Amino acid sequence: MRSKLPDAASSRKMAASSAVVAILASIWLCSSIAADASGSSSETTMHTNNWAVLVCTSRFWFNYRHMANTLSLYRTVKRLGIPDERIILMLADDMACNSRNKYPAQVFNNENHWLNLYGDNVEVDYRGYEVTVENFLRVLTGRHESAVPRSKRLLSDEGSHILLYMTGHGGDEFLKFQDSEELQSHDLADAVKQMKEKHRFKELLIMVDTCQAATLFNQLHSPGVLAIASSMKGENSYSHHLDSDVGVSVVDRFTFYTLAFFERLNMYDNASLSRLFNSYDPNLLMSNAYYRTDLYQRNLQEVPVTNFFGSVMETVHTDSAYRAFPQKNTPRETRIRTGNTAEDDSRRSILTDMTKAECPFTRIVSSLESKMETVGNLDSLVNYGLVMILPVLVVSVWLST
Amino acid sequence: MPTANTEEENSKSELQKNHGGGGGFTRWAVVAVIFRLALIYFPGNLNLSSRPEVSTPLTSIRRLAEGYWLKQSSMSPYAGSMYHGSPLLLSVLGPLTVKRIEGQPSHILCSLVFVLADLISSILIRATGRKLQIAYRKSLKSLNLLNKSTDSGALSSGDIAALVYLWNPFTIVACVGLSTSPVENLFTILTLYGAATGLAPLAAFGWVMATHLSLYPAILIIPVNLSYSGSWFYPPAPLSPEYTYAPPSKLFRSKEHGKVGDGKSSQEIIFSWRRVFHLLVWTSLWSVYVLVLCSISVKQHGSLQEMFQRTYGFILTVEDLSPNIGVLWYFFAEVFDFFRDFFLIVFHSNILFMILPLAIRLKHRPCFLAFVYIAISSMLKSYPSVGDSALYLGLLGLFLDELADMQFSFFLFCGYVGVSLLSPVMHNLWIWRGTGNANFYYATAMAYACFQIVLVVESVSSMLNHDRKLTKLSTSKLQK
Repeated sequence: MRSKLPDAASSRKMAASSAVVAILASIWLCSSIAADASGSSSETTMHTNNWAVLVCTSRFWFNYRHMANTLSLYRTVKRLGIPDERIILMLADDMACNSRNKYPAQVFNNENHWLNLYGDNVEVDYRGYEVTVENFLRVLTGRHESAVPRSKRLLSDEGSHILLYMTGHGGDEFLKFQDSEELQSHDLADAVKQMKEKHRFKELLIMVDTCQAATLFNQLHSPGVLAIASSMKGENSYSHHLDSDVGVSVVDRFTFYTLAFFERLNMYDNASLSRLFNSYDPNLLMSNAYYRTDLYQRNLQEVPVTNFFGSVMETVHTDSAYRAFPQKNTPRETRIRTGNTAEDDSRRSILTDMTKAECPFTRIVSSLESKMETVGNLDSLVNYGLVMILPVLVVSVWLST
Repeated sequence: MPTANTEEENSKSELQKNHGGGGGFTRWAVVAVIFRLALIYFPGNLNLSSRPEVSTPLTSIRRLAEGYWLKQSSMSPYAGSMYHGSPLLLSVLGPLTVKRIEGQPSHILCSLVFVLADLISSILIRATGRKLQIAYRKSLKSLNLLNKSTDSGALSSGDIAALVYLWNPFTIVACVGLSTSPVENLFTILTLYGAATGLAPLAAFGWVMATHLSLYPAILIIPVNLSYSGSWFYPPAPLSPEYTYAPPSKLFRSKEHGKVGDGKSSQEIIFSWRRVFHLLVWTSLWSVYVLVLCSISVKQHGSLQEMFQRTYGFILTVEDLSPNIGVLWYFFAEVFDFFRDFFLIVFHSNILFMILPLAIRLKHRPCFLAFVYIAISSMLKSYPSVGDSALYLGLLGLFLDELADMQFSFFLFCGYVGVSLLSPVMHNLWIWRGTGNANFYYATAMAYACFQIVLVVESVSSMLNHDRKLTKLSTSKLQK
């Protein structure tokens, strides 16, 4: 009887303590899962590389300024360090060699014609009729057919910062592609959501220079996305000036003032994104530049523009000699450090082996191997072997005469 | 018994009469070494180490330095298909490629090693030549054909052969151009010396190392066996007429009255299987030693199988098709993949099928058989270079007595000079100036192969003619 009471009490105590433990464990699990879910994307992954996707969605001669916009940004991004292999350039590419172009094979973005944007080192990835909404979405989401070459793919990884620049004709929640198709805001948001799911970027900056550009971002919900547009709903984005020699407008205002900001920079400047965004003057732009930062966690004053527009990689300087696979040294080092104990082990193992009834050949081979493990440098063993050839040869020759 | 001893003494004293020739050899050898050192001190090795005639993917010193760097960076030296040689050579020559001495040209230590290898090769050729000449005189004396006029002159054939080897422009170029062929040639000559002097360990060691470094000296096992086991210099009893060296056995059959019908060839050619076994035992001992050293050397970052695949497999599958003075690269650049294996077999059996007939025909002259094998393999190997030609041209000098009546010798000499002058010109036209194409260069390679074929054919036929003349002379003397 007496034993039952303590049993019941102890069982009740055990049940209570196990319930508490279970609750605590579940709380800890949930918190860790939640922490994983929220903190995995931006804070824990390392920034690896920068990509740029530059899209000009117009064709025909009178849309000269859109191609000039895209090529100017291409030049800036290359100047600040992103190489061609990490730039996807989509252009209709029908301006430079157009029969209406008074300056064949040359594209200018200013009427002073100082800068020819079209030169030897312009690599266009999608040109002409390849610039379609389908190809654009395939580039963003990475869902290509197997025959598409690597230069046409956005091969970003989970640590990439991507700059997406689009220019052309747009409207309320759409963007016109090559005068025949439209990209809608929910298509863009869907593609960005897919990119986020597939860990195709760490941070994304979308910059759009069209009429009513801000409406294109209405459906964006993915974290880590920063968006800037040249005009708000109901406003147009205007061209900057007309080049009377070429005969068309050569650049848009938003891009012109963006370039004016970047021309003062070089690769090593750490001008911040907030400075870029604050440099847009609505009076000069004749529209209100809009930027959306609610999806972006970091403070814009701490983010340098070269995080998106350039490519500055951190280098670690070491004084030691270059080793191709440094982790291969550590096993050798540990072997040297534990050399004594290994020798003791081998001695002990030889003693124990003698008691066992083992094949003597395997015993010899295993003892040789263990001795070779303890020898620090196999190369010196080979050198001894090579040096020993000579006396062995002399002795054998003397013996055989 | 006393006659045999005096015969030996006589021939040795005759050779010692040429001791003034020994002084001549030393003088010329020293001048050759000084000449090589002078060429080494020219800036940039005269760009010889980048010529395709001198350095092949197997013998280039730059690839050896690359393999050594890979090994020092804790990677397998065969990574990346640069180095295709032996890991033991890497341990010996590798550290020398990185050691730099102030004020001296780069790779000076490697150049000194190659000069030393050349010098030792020439000394060994000279010693082999002396042995050959002693045996030749002995056999001629036994047939009563020796007279004063067969005294060759100031220099014996061994001295001539050694000096030809040292002063051959091909050898000098291969040495100064830092290819590893002097080392390979040294081991081949060591094999022949060991076989000539009847030292089985030395011959076995030379054969194992030569086969290990480049695959082709493997076929020399046959002449080495024949010379070692065929009672060449050490007849089983004195005064026995069973000298199998130089003149064929028919001569001796006719000498022994009444033994004509007794035709077992194994009786005349004292071919002792015991000695064959002895040699094979030493060969296997040395090959086990070398394989163990190699396996220790490649254990860290590779395996022995990888080593065989990258060295022997590279030689046999002709992976590298960069131009050289051989005839394989052009062909394999244009053959279809479907037929590639077939033609690999055809080209390699080109060497293999000649082994047996030549062995049957020339079994009474093992050293000459070795020379013919070396000449054929130098011509038909996957990546030939001038260092290989230097070897057999030097060995050609050992047989000057027998090959005195060789036809086309002047034609061949002019041909060799012409090809060695035209081939760099065609290479320049093709690669650097762009006014020629691969056919220009391959034409010189084919002409070179033709000259080598003519050399081999003519030397074999003149050697057989010489033997036939000896037979005729001795039978006519017998009948007198």
